[in-house]
Amino acid sequence: MTLKQRRPVLLIALAALAAGCSAPPPPTSGSTSTLRYVAAGSPAAASDDPHGGLANESDALRFSLLYDVLTVPGDDGTAKPRLAASWEPDRTLTRWTFRLRPEATFTDGRPVRAADVLYSLRRIERKAAENYGRLASFDTQASTAPDDHTVVLVSRTPNALAPEALESVTFVVPEGSEDFGRPVPGSGPYRMAGGDARTAVLMRNPAWWGPRPSLDGVEIRAMADPQARAAAVTSGQADVAGSVSPAAAKAAGTGVRVVRRAPVTEYPFVMRLDREPFDDPRVREAFKLAADRQALVDTVFLGYGKVANDLPTPYDASYPEDLAQRPRDVARAKKLLAAAGHADGLEVTLRTTTSYPGMDGAAALYARQLADIGVTATVRNEPPDTYWTDVWGKADFYTGYFGGIPFTDVARVALLSASPANETAWKRPAWDEAFAAALAVRDAAGRNGRLGALQKELWKDGGYVVWGLGEGLELTSPAVHGLPTGPGFQRFLLDGVRLGDAG
Amino acid sequence: MRLSAPAGLSRAVLAPLRAVVLLAVVSVAVFAATELLPGDAADAVGAGRASAAQLAGLRAERGLDRPGWERWASWASALLHGDAGRSLLTGRPVVDVIGGRLPATAVLAGSAFALTAPLVLLGCVLAGRRALRRPGDAGGGLATALTAVPQVVVAAALAALLSGVLRWVPPVSLLPPGGGPPDPSILVLPVLTLALPSAAFGVALLGGVVADALRRPYVTDALVRGVPAGRVLRRHVLPVLAAPALRVLAVVVGGLAAGGALVETVFGYAGAGELLVSSVAARDTPVVQLLGLGSATAVLAVLLLADLVPVRS
Repeated sequence: MTLKQRRPVLLIALAALAAGCSAPPPPTSGSTSTLRYVAAGSPAAASDDPHGGLANESDALRFSLLYDVLTVPGDDGTAKPRLAASWEPDRTLTRWTFRLRPEATFTDGRPVRAADVLYSLRRIERKAAENYGRLASFDTQASTAPDDHTVVLVSRTPNALAPEALESVTFVVPEGSEDFGRPVPGSGPYRMAGGDARTAVLMRNPAWWGPRPSLDGVEIRAMADPQARAAAVTSGQADVAGSVSPAAAKAAGTGVRVVRRAPVTEYPFVMRLDREPFDDPRVREAFKLAADRQALVDTVFLGYGKVANDLPTPYDASYPEDLAQRPRDVARAKKLLAAAGHADGLEVTLRTTTSYPGMDGAAALYARQLADIGVTATVRNEPPDTYWTDVWGKADFYTGYFGGIPFTDVARVALLSASPANETAWKRPAWDEAFAAALAVRDAAGRNGRLGALQKELWKDGGYVVWGLGEGLELTSPAVHGLPTGPGFQRFLLDGVRLGDAG
Repeated sequence: MRLSAPAGLSRAVLAPLRAVVLLAVVSVAVFAATELLPGDAADAVGAGRASAAQLAGLRAERGLDRPGWERWASWASALLHGDAGRSLLTGRPVVDVIGGRLPATAVLAGSAFALTAPLVLLGCVLAGRRALRRPGDAGGGLATALTAVPQVVVAAALAALLSGVLRWVPPVSLLPPGGGPPDPSILVLPVLTLALPSAAFGVALLGGVVADALRRPYVTDALVRGVPAGRVLRRHVLPVLAAPALRVLAVVVGGLAAGGALVETVFGYAGAGELLVSSVAARDTPVVQLLGLGSATAVLAVLLLADLVPVRS
């Protein structure tokens, strides 16, 4: 969506928000207890295939309600049972035995069998090109189903975090499902009752094995514009607006509530280690020292966030808590640049886009902060249509994005020598080996210590300027209670949500 | 019928033929435009994280590895056999993807048209009266000025006034989730946003023609001789106006189709226009093609009608 199209929506939203301040609380859905959820999503990409990219939040939310997954993230950062009731590894941590709930059934009446799980996992691996190689660490072809309720999963390397790698996205469909042009039966807490992928009507699945969810139904609409989503709640037409912009949250009146999720949204500045001038570690450190992190958080996230310390996953259990926060130090940064031969100044191009609210503003402000250390940064605003294919992972210096994946996933996607999206060109064989060795440690404290040491090396030498984390923001009517506030996919688990009195 | 039979016949044969050729040209143009945009559907599906080999696989699966003319030819021949193909993004049949949205867009465009037509008529009557009273004045300035206001500004102004200040109608237009007729209040903003600029455009084009028709010597003569105004209008003015009015109508229909894309996106209205915007962004060629062809067919159908009406000068 171009900026030109955005502006009127902003005006509309502001007008509606201004009016909302003085308005009585919007009406709730009434006695039927149906939650009306307006989620982020491109209408063209709205899909019925749960094993694709899940780029649309509206799709991910719908699949989370329609299908069972093997495990879900717990509050303590470890995996909790869902369709898999229990699991245990072998001695080598390469063969994991998962026991399924025997009482789970699909909405067409068939039982959920190990063969269905294996079929789904293999299909996810087969569609690796579309889902970023989500299950690349497993060998699903070598995995087996010894009986109807047991799956033995084979990991390609020893992995103490296999249950965590299966969290949230292992949607189970009936074996042999091939036409995903329309929804296939699921075994989740809700079933499809009408509508389509753009506007879906879900009703409670009375045959679900878990505790009965409070909501009778959930209506999910995919809407691309965050301001339009916010306006839907402030005008009382929806109960929840997913992922609204900090500006919409700030402007929300008394008639609506802002639900703040754990901060995980990042727009790091990405420097490539294999290109000038960023191949010099002194330049990279100078660029990190130049960031006025608090100013960036205040401007970009409007205070809905916190400063970060150049590591992409401070919310991960393996984060090295003893690491000191890197301060802003203009004098030292200048000294480092001079030592690197840039005493007379340095010219760089910083690319950015408007895909997520605030990405362009972050780059503009950081460019001004770089001027303080003698760097002339020209900001280039690229079209969002092609940014992720033409700039992301390719340019020398640009504004990136992370949205709450665990450290092990960041490492697999972006930090190993063979990673498909190694955007900073962080290629260190010793680091790769230490990462593999850390995953083979069964004891959580010992494993996290090793992963933490790897992150300290990244903090010192890496190509990421991670200046802050933004909170996920939802706008809700006051009647909505119990909306999940955890990071990542936790926000799609609506089992505990209820509609009650406003207050 | 004033025309001789052979001339009328050849017109009746030639006009539809021309429409079919025009449709083919439109489909090639739409295809070429989508093709010229950087990136393709495989890039959109891979979202930047797929390796080169994976991207090649995605292209092969979707037939994107073949040359453009070949893809257009097989698309066109399949369409002639009634198969519009599947979305390159989601694999859903294109007919399903678009079909679900047509009722919503038909309601919106139909309502907008139903409002545009009387507004244009009213504007033409005013222009005509003005022409009769002040024969020397060219007129049409206001309509032309209104035409220059971008549709996004109209959308923002209407929403700020009707929804923000007066709180008469909702600021976003959410359709009932299970289908069925929408609440009329949600149509107000999108319909007005579509209809007001279209009507101004129609009046700007047609007002001058009306004024000219009224200023013709035989019209003024007839009026001076005391022929009743209604009869003058019926015999001497309306026949002259029919053809240009139908042409303007065709342009207005085109304007509604194009404006629908913007208006539906701005108000979150789940119609075909909103789908078109995001399908172009994702390079989902089969969806873009069918939507483009559909809009072109609507415009050409009205133009064809205009062609079949005898021109009188």
